[in-house]
Amino acid sequence: MASRAERRAQLVALDGTRHADLRGAARSLRERLASRKIRSGVSWWDASGVFFELGLGKRKHRAASPRTLLLLYAADLAFRLRWEIRPALAEGQTVIAAPYLDTAFAFGAACGLSREWLTSLFAFAPAPDAHFVTRERRRAGGGKVNGKAGFAEFSSAVVAESTPSFVPADAQRQMIAFLEATARRRGSRRLT
Amino acid sequence: MTATPARTSLTRVTKQKMPALLAEREANRGLLIAFEGADGSGKTTQRKLFTRWLESQGHRVVTTKWASSPLVKPLLKARKKVHALSPEELCLLQAADFRHRLDREILPALWSGAMVVADRYLFTSLARDAARGLDLDWMLHAYSPLFWPDLVLNFTVSLDTSTSRVASKRTPKFYDAGQDVTNLDDPISSYRAFESRVMREYENLSLIFRFVNVDGERPIYEQHKRIRLLFQEGRRAAWGEWNVEALTEWIEWTGAQEADHGE
Repeated sequence: MASRAERRAQLVALDGTRHADLRGAARSLRERLASRKIRSGVSWWDASGVFFELGLGKRKHRAASPRTLLLLYAADLAFRLRWEIRPALAEGQTVIAAPYLDTAFAFGAACGLSREWLTSLFAFAPAPDAHFVTRERRRAGGGKVNGKAGFAEFSSAVVAESTPSFVPADAQRQMIAFLEATARRRGSRRLT
Repeated sequence: MTATPARTSLTRVTKQKMPALLAEREANRGLLIAFEGADGSGKTTQRKLFTRWLESQGHRVVTTKWASSPLVKPLLKARKKVHALSPEELCLLQAADFRHRLDREILPALWSGAMVVADRYLFTSLARDAARGLDLDWMLHAYSPLFWPDLVLNFTVSLDTSTSRVASKRTPKFYDAGQDVTNLDDPISSYRAFESRVMREYENLSLIFRFVNVDGERPIYEQHKRIRLLFQEGRRAAWGEWNVEALTEWIEWTGAQEADHGE
């Protein structure tokens, strides 16, 4: 049996549409890993502060298309990989990336962006060793542009501000359907 | 899995309307002219002269500058100041800035019939970030759907001219001098080393994308006369396939109201 030191550090993707659910699921996942004596840490979205600063901006300047928001998410993910995920993995620590790629793909798909574009955009990000999705406890009517929102909620709210015909609740339904279908295909586990 | 977009009905309606919308707009649309080239190649001087001339000809002109969107400029500025960006992060933030300006400044202006003069366009990122070692294909995807200018003027100067013109005005900033990749402490030495790579990338791009080269070492007024001539002789071509994709997306997400006003 492999000793703790010999165990390879793993990148665990945890995806979902609501930040509150991601927090709960990440806590539960860390407890499970700790019970197996596996050191782990969590890399949250917006570690670079890009979206936080965006939220501080004037509403008229904040209007952005889904593609612009995904480019910003990719920039934030590049930052997380550089400063959080890769260094922790190099030290032998398992990293829970919450959220990782599937949440961005779900948002992009809900907004009609092509899978090819999304795949190419995120080509710099390594494939995770394991995937989890949150069990969506509540279907929100729409997120807010504040620090408590996750990427999907924040971005839906930003798009809705400038595109009145965009309905965040519809987008969230599409994202959940996308995440569930992806999880079924991969055999990912759901976390409450 | 293929997800159905959240705005299926609007997407379908817009796509059905697009050929008619574009055909109607084609004759009255504005033109996009991009000024590209190394630092110190004189493109800003020429851009200003050309803008004045266009205005004197009765055109409405909108100028857009590199990395200037109100959404992303503050984010970029703060991170550049503390040298906190990797080549990927810099490229992605600039791509976000470009997309935002395309959605909010460039396409609305063109749609309304204004001439758009771009002081640097996405080719700046392609040249500089390729010089930083990023993959051109990945960058082109990040910037897609591309929106092609009607005319790309590439100002060419020697490395010595570029360096002496830049050095006579200011010390090049950290990322402009490529100090993030050259690891040279002296900004001017770094600028020379980095800019030689950037110039090579511009030469490659010029061949691929058929830029019109302007010799930036010729007298200022001579260059200006050539640019006027190039503009006047340029044939107005229909929006290309790439541009249609970018326009459709803009109308779907951002410019639906502007497009409707144009109907």
